[in-house]
Amino acid sequence: MVDTQPKEKPAQKEKTPAKEKEEGKKEKKEKRRELGKKLPAVPESVLKSRKRRDLAKAARVNVALKKRTEYYKKRKEIFKRAEKYVKEYHSRERDEIRLARQARNRGNYYIPGEARLAFVIRIRGINQVAPKVRKVLQLFRLKQINNGVFIKLNKATINMLRICEPYVTWGYPNLKSVRELIYKRGFAKVRGQRIPITSNAIIEKKLSKCNIICIEDLIHEIFTVGDKFKYASNFLWPFKLNTPTGGWRKKTNHYVEGGDFGNREDKINELLRRMV
Amino acid sequence: MSLSAARPLISIYNDKNEPLGTTVALPAVFKAPIRPDIVNFVHDNMAKNHRQPYSVNKDAGHQTSAESWGTGRAVARIPRVRGGGTHRSGQGAFGNMCRGGRMFAPTKPWRRWHRRININQKRYALVSAIAASGVPALVMSKGHLIQDIPELPLVVDDKVQEYSKTKQAVVFLRRIKAWADIQKVYKSRRFRAGKGKMRNRRRIQRRGPLVIYGQDQGLTKAFRNIPGVDLINVSKLNLLKLAPGGHVGRFVIWTQSAFSKLDELFGSWRKTSKLKKGYNLPMPKMANTDLTRLLKAEEIRSVLRAPIKQKRSVKKLNPLTNTRAMLRLNPYAAVLKRKAILTSLQSRRKRQELLAKKRGITLEPTAAEARARKLQEQRRAAIQKAKAEKAKKPKVEKEEKPTPGKEGKKAKTPAKGDKTPVKGAKAPGKGGKAPAKGGKAAAKEAKVLGKEAKAPAKEAKAPAKEAKAPAKEAKAPAKEAKAPAKEGKAPAEETKKVAEGSPKK
Repeated sequence: MVDTQPKEKPAQKEKTPAKEKEEGKKEKKEKRRELGKKLPAVPESVLKSRKRRDLAKAARVNVALKKRTEYYKKRKEIFKRAEKYVKEYHSRERDEIRLARQARNRGNYYIPGEARLAFVIRIRGINQVAPKVRKVLQLFRLKQINNGVFIKLNKATINMLRICEPYVTWGYPNLKSVRELIYKRGFAKVRGQRIPITSNAIIEKKLSKCNIICIEDLIHEIFTVGDKFKYASNFLWPFKLNTPTGGWRKKTNHYVEGGDFGNREDKINELLRRMV
Repeated sequence: MSLSAARPLISIYNDKNEPLGTTVALPAVFKAPIRPDIVNFVHDNMAKNHRQPYSVNKDAGHQTSAESWGTGRAVARIPRVRGGGTHRSGQGAFGNMCRGGRMFAPTKPWRRWHRRININQKRYALVSAIAASGVPALVMSKGHLIQDIPELPLVVDDKVQEYSKTKQAVVFLRRIKAWADIQKVYKSRRFRAGKGKMRNRRRIQRRGPLVIYGQDQGLTKAFRNIPGVDLINVSKLNLLKLAPGGHVGRFVIWTQSAFSKLDELFGSWRKTSKLKKGYNLPMPKMANTDLTRLLKAEEIRSVLRAPIKQKRSVKKLNPLTNTRAMLRLNPYAAVLKRKAILTSLQSRRKRQELLAKKRGITLEPTAAEARARKLQEQRRAAIQKAKAEKAKKPKVEKEEKPTPGKEGKKAKTPAKGDKTPVKGAKAPGKGGKAPAKGGKAAAKEAKVLGKEAKAPAKEAKAPAKEAKAPAKEAKAPAKEAKAPAKEGKAPAEETKKVAEGSPKK
């Protein structure tokens, strides 16, 4: 059956029908002869898509190259920063010791600075919580049992901790605790989602404005409570910790009474070893 | 269907299925938008127009004087028939639930049986139906067997209009290969399912082709006895015939005069119709309905944004236990790990040495120490050999001298190993081969040294590969050991210099 679809005769509106008929017939016959001789041509759509693909490829190659060079630059920078931080932590530690020794040599006493960083863990559940305490725990983002957050210690936060004391245990984490928490249990808050920190790109995208481009930067900012501590700690989703292996002592009492809640200063690190 | 302005030419066939040679341009109607929704709506309403009213008798169920007995008689309160002496007395009456009572909402003859439809809608539907009859796909999907007909729309010579005998009509249909459709009608003859059987609608059959003629000169009489065939005059087109069942795509056979009249009847978009006052064909919503081509068109693609690809979530691996994950996050961790391993090995070694000293045992040298010793011995042997060869060939020495500095430099830039063979080629004679080989060795060294230069950054790949760095140093002298055996003295000197330079690094 012959197909009556238009065979590309666009500008024929002006011609008379009689002429149309003749020319139409001739063209049809010619076309049939032509088609008989020619080899099948590549369809236009295929040619178009090939062209588009080639252009896209060229553009992509350029972009990829740029990205690669940038990536290597960043890697170098990250390496250098990590190196710097290792030195810094080491020197800090030795500084404290040195100052203490110096003072002792002179028969004096060295009082180290009060802790500026605290790690707070919620140890009680959801039910039957007083409203003030509930609000404070909300502000600390401790919405679940065994949730932990890093907190900068100042008058305001210390008073807040006092309000919610029976519901939390807190202390001063050391570098190992901070590292373990962030490496093992570190999740980022990206667009309201809890995304695991699997690469530095996640951190850089969010915190490049605070000059934090890698995980070591993040750890440094948290450990040495820096300018951008707020952004760094807010970037981290509240840590979800395990219940400690070996168990609690007595959640309903303060640590000094032989229980668990409240400020346990350095002993938080032992607890964290058991919880992370 | 793309509604281009192009109007192809339809050839006309004579009653013996031969193209007459004359052609007609396709009337604009066939390019009208095909709107099955409008066709369906109009058909629905049009089909209601040939209904005959039905209703129940207006007295039915009320031809009693029943009255309710009221309460207190231990019976339902439905009105009951008065009197006695018959079964009927005391039976319930009037209610739709009663036997012999009136039905709920008795049907009335003044029900609105007919529907009026806007003229433009009727015309739109008609135009759509005609357009659809020109699309082979639609006609085939309606079920007509049009595989062998010569062309669609099928236009036939006016001679057909003069047929008077059914035999002629049959022969004609056979000749233009429309008989298959009619055979299908024959095959589809069956009894209706349902009560229609006892309501004078006993038998049903399929619809066959529709013949549209310009002037009836006996045509109707010829075709009317062929089952399935319908006949219409082109001036009185009927949607119920063009789109039976509300579905577009009936198989239509046009006569020439009918076909030519379509342009006058419906006009085109530029000209109004002559026979329908002020009527113009309906405008389509989309001029180009070829979706595949639209989606590939540059004009559209250039405005679209890039497609958003769903990123699969990456599995989190604990960096504290998984070294690859750690290195991804912190490249300096490799250095720390390596250092930790080395210091632990060192301290272990020290302990062992201490114990050995106490016990007075001499320990076996470590792998590193053994290699270092071997290296030294090989170097000594190489130097002695070179000295021996120097004693034989003083000439080669002079020409090699200008190259050492350059070769040394070359060794530092690793990627330029290619150039050394060229420079080596300057020296003639036996030196010709040797410098080439020296070049090769230097290139090899260059590569090795290049590797070593990158080592601080890349050694870390596997911390346990710290052994490789000294291994590389061992390789380089090993290669040098081979090369000097073949070379002249001077290249060996350079290699020695360069090799000495490398461990300093």
